[in-house]
Amino acid sequence: MNMVKSTKRYLVSSVAALGLCALGALPAFAEDYAQAPFFDAAVESGDLPPVDERLPANPLVLETLGSIGEYGGTMRRAILGGGDQHNIVRTIAHENLVRWSADWTEVKPNIAESWEVSEDATTFTFTLREGMRWSDGAPFTADDVMFWYEIFSDERLTPSKHPIYVGPEGPVAVTKVDDTTVEFKFGSPNGLFINNMAYGFGYYPVNYPKHYLSQFHIDHNPDGIQALIDAEPAAAGWVSLFNLKAGPMHTPAFWQNPDRPTLHPWKLQNAYGASDRVVAERNPYFWKVDADGNQLPYFDAITWDQVEDPETILLKAFNGEIDYMNRHLGRPANRAVLTDNMERGQYGFFDTNDLPSNGAILMLNLNNPDPVKNAIVNDLNFRIGLSHAVNRQEIIDLIYFGSGRAAQTAPQPVSPLYDEEMATQFTEYNPDLAAEYLDKAGLTEMDADGYRLDPNGERFTLVFLTADVFGAQFPDVLELVASYARDVGIDIQIRVSDRARLQEIAASAEHDAYIWNCAGGQSDAYTSPECYLPFGTAVYWAPEWAKWGVDPSTGIEPPQHIKDLFVAYDEVKAAATPEQRQAEMEELLEMSKALLLTVGLVQSDPAFGVARNNVRNHPNPLPISGQLWYPSPYVSQMYYEGGKSLP
Amino acid sequence: MIGYFYRRILYMIPTVFLVSIVTFIIIQLPPGDYLDTLAAELSDSGGLDTGTLQALRDQYGLGQPMYIQYWKWITGILFQGDFGLSFEKNLPVNELIWDRLGWTFAISLLTLLFIWAVALPIGIYSAVRKYSVGDYAATFFGFIGLAVPNFLLALVMMYVAFKYFGQSVGGLVSPEYIDAPWAWDKFVDLMKHIWMPIVVVGTSGAAALIRIMRANLLDELYRPYVVTARAKGMSEFQLLMKYPVRVALNPFISTIGWILPTLVSGEIIVAVVMNLPTTGPMLLRALLVQDMYLAGSLILIVSLLTVLGTLISDLLLAWIDPRIRYQ
Repeated sequence: MNMVKSTKRYLVSSVAALGLCALGALPAFAEDYAQAPFFDAAVESGDLPPVDERLPANPLVLETLGSIGEYGGTMRRAILGGGDQHNIVRTIAHENLVRWSADWTEVKPNIAESWEVSEDATTFTFTLREGMRWSDGAPFTADDVMFWYEIFSDERLTPSKHPIYVGPEGPVAVTKVDDTTVEFKFGSPNGLFINNMAYGFGYYPVNYPKHYLSQFHIDHNPDGIQALIDAEPAAAGWVSLFNLKAGPMHTPAFWQNPDRPTLHPWKLQNAYGASDRVVAERNPYFWKVDADGNQLPYFDAITWDQVEDPETILLKAFNGEIDYMNRHLGRPANRAVLTDNMERGQYGFFDTNDLPSNGAILMLNLNNPDPVKNAIVNDLNFRIGLSHAVNRQEIIDLIYFGSGRAAQTAPQPVSPLYDEEMATQFTEYNPDLAAEYLDKAGLTEMDADGYRLDPNGERFTLVFLTADVFGAQFPDVLELVASYARDVGIDIQIRVSDRARLQEIAASAEHDAYIWNCAGGQSDAYTSPECYLPFGTAVYWAPEWAKWGVDPSTGIEPPQHIKDLFVAYDEVKAAATPEQRQAEMEELLEMSKALLLTVGLVQSDPAFGVARNNVRNHPNPLPISGQLWYPSPYVSQMYYEGGKSLP
Repeated sequence: MIGYFYRRILYMIPTVFLVSIVTFIIIQLPPGDYLDTLAAELSDSGGLDTGTLQALRDQYGLGQPMYIQYWKWITGILFQGDFGLSFEKNLPVNELIWDRLGWTFAISLLTLLFIWAVALPIGIYSAVRKYSVGDYAATFFGFIGLAVPNFLLALVMMYVAFKYFGQSVGGLVSPEYIDAPWAWDKFVDLMKHIWMPIVVVGTSGAAALIRIMRANLLDELYRPYVVTARAKGMSEFQLLMKYPVRVALNPFISTIGWILPTLVSGEIIVAVVMNLPTTGPMLLRALLVQDMYLAGSLILIVSLLTVLGTLISDLLLAWIDPRIRYQ
């Protein structure tokens, strides 16, 4: 009955949504918009204009995942005391020009109501919504995008640019066509740009309110700025003042300035880190509505209680103090206790679609400063031998509670890029075969303790760095790997370090090897291919080649087979159509597959999250990846059945 | 006594100064700085923004040599009461720490009272009724209190409070009171929570003091002055309290000096586990991310308080035990 009802309602909603789109900005229609009771008093007293005047001429009609919601309630979450700002970003922020659909399959309009791509994929023209407003009521126009572009181009404020806005011919050029049209132009084809704009770092152009931030810029406020610098104890000059007030969204600074106007569904009421609870209340000028014309979001507020230990979050969930959350909670190790307390906490589980290319990867530094070790790890036979030496199933059973499967670093089966051979090659546990390959790699001699000797007659030792992060239990995995390696005569030494230190050593290519995970298991393979070729700064299995790839005057010139990968990736980026892009990507993966650049161990089963029993309209499964800052674009449509949280 | 007092005050000045230098050096010892930590954390979100990092590095003056950074910091504290800036929170350290120091102080004080209230009577009882059943029981629980790690005790108590009393765990007040102004209800709620950290932190301290009190008192009980007093017909209780107990009290007084640093540094894990709004978790976090002014200021203030605490306990000792004055 319920099912039939909701389906029917959904059909009605869809028709209404189509109607809204077709009618566009007709003022007659706009009278039907409704707002949350939260604002009724403010509108009546005249403190706030009526909802029709707060919404843009053509608000985005968000396709609700279930049914039309009920207003009210506070969604409660928990946040760690420091470094956890993505907890906020992934809940309420991440409103970009364009967004991914809730199932992560296609790019859809968001702040831009439409966009055009030139045939050669160099020019991207976005049409903004007319009459859109920042959370303080000031208009949002192309000038705000241009203000970001001014900061982006300013060497004082942005000495180096985020890579998605830089092509081989240099940074993007942005021009204002009119108040609601902006054009992004690259010197050469950039077929991935729209995808990138829908991912995390696409947020930049639409998060710099000119009317607010220009007061902190010396060119815009030459006379008044000194007083502002003096008033801010943390600022030494105008640049630091500006960075403090306009800090990027993925850094803590953004969330420490509650005065900054936003386009997000909720607006921060206090600074992250300054108190025991972070509170965000609904943005009166939010520009999305549901199919019935109700202004979103449905929840009145979102709160994050600050805690120091993730285990406390678990206890809070048992107690029903967490309404919707996967971060810090959804690990396989927690599944059993969370199941035991479901009744008490009145929550249920939802699935996530969190599928990296591999959850635990042996990353040998292929730019090892030691020439002898470098020659050995660059021998494909050595990497194949190491791969066969590892008993992946035992690792999965002992450490990951049997969840996941043995695999190399490769796209996941759900991805259109899936290649079974790539995912499973050399994953068979076979010490004899491993020994054969290691012999082929030139490690034939053994010392008295049964360890293999390198060509110089020294014991061949790999020092593996590891850190205890993401709850991934890397140090435990590495202990097992070291024991398997011992069986085939390879000496693996383990150095457990903290994450910052590990990354510092790895970034400077001073390490032998480390263990980490890697993105690229699904559609993000196009934009985060860092485990298929040396690219970017997220992982460091060949940092010197990666540097060379960005700027050939730095780093180390790679051998031809790596240069071929760079060329192949350039072709992926230049492809104008999705079909062409997939073909190019498959070619790149085919080339990468033959090289076995990293040794993957396990593709884990996706994590999960918990939602209180009356939370509706949440995406299930919820797509997640490093670059995809979900579910924030869809949280504004979630609601409580009954209008408030369960007690 | 006055000379003793002045001498002690004078010693404090170089001590605190040295502590501040050592603190600063230790915090700077690990390679890298706050921005390296930030960079490592940001790479988790799919990429690294070097432009932002460079701008921040200039903003915080992190490229400068250590002694210049130290000089800026210490002169700021001495002349303006400015403890510098917390990198991670982008707030002056002054705005962050006083609340937490207040809670730390309150819990320390209550813990101290708890330890005394438990250890004093039990210690006396154990000494007077040596090798009785009660003494053995007290000894048994005392050793358990010493042996069980505090954080484990914290976990167990939180579990019990959650499982059998349905109490919201973590923090000093329930979630619904976090933003609420102080009122009777909130106070009652605070009382429901605050006993847990006090008991957890106080247990091992109390256990240790019971043993010390017992040993000290046993030494005194059979001294000739006790025998003399008893021979003169003084009542047993009065006698006990007036002479041997007073002498055996020394360790209780000297506790004042070390309870604060123990609470701040030794019990960090307990504070993290129980989510207490004290300085411990903040210090731990500051050290992890190399937020050096915040960490340095906390350590400096705690050191200062320790030195002050030691001064107070020394003065009390001198007052209670005249022999100390004439050393």
